[in-house]
Amino acid sequence: MSESVNADATQMSGGRTDSDAIVVLEGVHKKFKDFSALKGVDFKVGKREVVVIIGPSGSGKSTLIRCVNRLEEHDKGRIIVDGIELTLDIRNIEEVRKETGMVFQSFNLFPHLTVLSNVAIGPRQVRKMSKAKSEELAHELLTRVKIPEQAEKFPAQLSGGQQQRVAIARALAMKPKVMLFDEPTSALDPEMINEVLDVIKELAKDGMTMIVVTHEMGFAREVADRVVFMSDGEIVEVGTPSELFDHPKDPRTQKFLSQIL
Amino acid sequence: MKTWLRRNLFRTWWDALLTIVFSGVALWAMWSVFRFVVFTGRWEIIDVNLRLLLVGRFPKESLWVLYGVVIATCFWGAAALGGGKVAGAREASRSEQLFAAVRRFGLLVVVGLLLVVLAGVRESMWFVVAVVGAIVLGLQVKKWRRSIAKLRQIPAVIWHVALAITPITMMVLVIRSADVQLWGGFLINFYIAVLSILLCFPLGVLLALGRRSSLPMVRLVCATYIEVVRGAPLFVLLLLSGVALDFFLPPQIDPGPVFRSVTVFTMFTAAYLAEIIRGGLQSIPKGQTEAARALGLPTVKIIFLVTLPQALRNVIPAQIGQFISLFKDTTLAGAALSILEMLKISEAITKQDAFLGRGYIYEVLAFAGLLFWVGSYVMSKESQRVEKKLGVGQR
Repeated sequence: MSESVNADATQMSGGRTDSDAIVVLEGVHKKFKDFSALKGVDFKVGKREVVVIIGPSGSGKSTLIRCVNRLEEHDKGRIIVDGIELTLDIRNIEEVRKETGMVFQSFNLFPHLTVLSNVAIGPRQVRKMSKAKSEELAHELLTRVKIPEQAEKFPAQLSGGQQQRVAIARALAMKPKVMLFDEPTSALDPEMINEVLDVIKELAKDGMTMIVVTHEMGFAREVADRVVFMSDGEIVEVGTPSELFDHPKDPRTQKFLSQIL
Repeated sequence: MKTWLRRNLFRTWWDALLTIVFSGVALWAMWSVFRFVVFTGRWEIIDVNLRLLLVGRFPKESLWVLYGVVIATCFWGAAALGGGKVAGAREASRSEQLFAAVRRFGLLVVVGLLLVVLAGVRESMWFVVAVVGAIVLGLQVKKWRRSIAKLRQIPAVIWHVALAITPITMMVLVIRSADVQLWGGFLINFYIAVLSILLCFPLGVLLALGRRSSLPMVRLVCATYIEVVRGAPLFVLLLLSGVALDFFLPPQIDPGPVFRSVTVFTMFTAAYLAEIIRGGLQSIPKGQTEAARALGLPTVKIIFLVTLPQALRNVIPAQIGQFISLFKDTTLAGAALSILEMLKISEAITKQDAFLGRGYIYEVLAFAGLLFWVGSYVMSKESQRVEKKLGVGQR
């Protein structure tokens, strides 16, 4: 399974590379009515890089990653994903959405479909895979997120942690080049957080490109190649986990970290 | 038993009083109905006119096809939809199944027997027996399909086509055997209702989607249609259809009253249905659409695979309510468009020489009411079962 999700994961040796960027944001602005959520964000994510975004609530973290797959429309600037620029053209948007998987805070599984159908619906309906093949893929992915035995159940019959793992499998089924995680553990009971984080860590190990918005600092320190600190719609500071957590330069970063650690 | 009585009926003196008063009311009502049915009711008017009440002037020599349709459809319904486990329920024991069946059909069987007695026609017995037999056989076939390996291998499509082919051919035969204008009685009420329900459902869905469209013109047209049609009394629309439909049709076409009434019922119910379905769509959280979009599903697929199925499921009770009221409103077509439907015929037969001026209208209306009640009751019960089967409210 892993080789089909990211064929060249095994070629990766030693440190990860950010030479060729897969997500590029240039001067991105976003306004909700008269509230500026993003005020000119410049940012690049390289192939196989894991970027964790942290920051106080209302700082624009979620808005930023929701712009990457056009769940929010940015007002100014450019967003380029895997060489495709997001414009008003719906074909470009759908192309980008095929290449980006997203995992939401509130799971958003389809309650009227079985777990298996939830995972298979993407490849079946968007990639035009046959029913048998899509279900085979779904079974593989459910095994990968360690819940193969729940395939025939409905989402409501699963625990929060299990639901979120199904949601990850659903996103992976599209074989995305980038995974976006929007606070994937914030709606979970404490005892279920680790089972979800473990799955995400494994993805990182396999070389998946990921942008993760999270409040789990331990997790950020462990998996991130780079940590981004955002505040008031701007990127304040970017660095490796040790740079940012142990030697934060900007006073806003220092204040935020002192409040949560 | 004793503790149950005490706990549920006579816990305090006030509870006991209420229990006694309400039992009294119930007994009195039951006695009144019983007295009317058995002693004071003069059912010979139904007996003499039964065929007229049920099928109007439908030609006698084609009646057997009609019987065939009812029997074949019962079989079909039982074999295709019947039984089936409720989502998440365990397999019921034999006695539990029997109890459930009695609860589901007991009242209907009683009413059916009552109808046979009222009708007094011995020949109607074999028909009732055939219908019950068809349902039992259908349920058995359904069971076989699940238990016999060879039958289980048949793909669902072939299975359903094979089951549906007899009733549908017979329906076509019925429609071809007599001009619709000759149909009457309960048959025409049923026909208008079924046709209108089948037609108004897709129209209602489209109107609901249209009213939520991002295109302002589409939204405007749909909203205007819904508000205008909902704002007019149904009876007025039926009366109008006698004239107004001709404005929109080429002059060489002169649609009969049945066509006119089906058009009105379809348009009218679709407007109400659209609002019901729109309510259902609004109850679907935004995250559902976002998740579907994030997968790259195009808008049409998001609607038909993700939001609409959930929305329709959430509003089953309201939809069925609308269909039931449509079914009963078909009696208005007689007064407005002179269709010889049940109510119109009911009135007409009281003016026959043998019955004129002797107050037979109560017997006739009671009979008509009973038939409509049976139809509505079946719809409501079966919809509850479908709801349970789909696991509504399990989330």
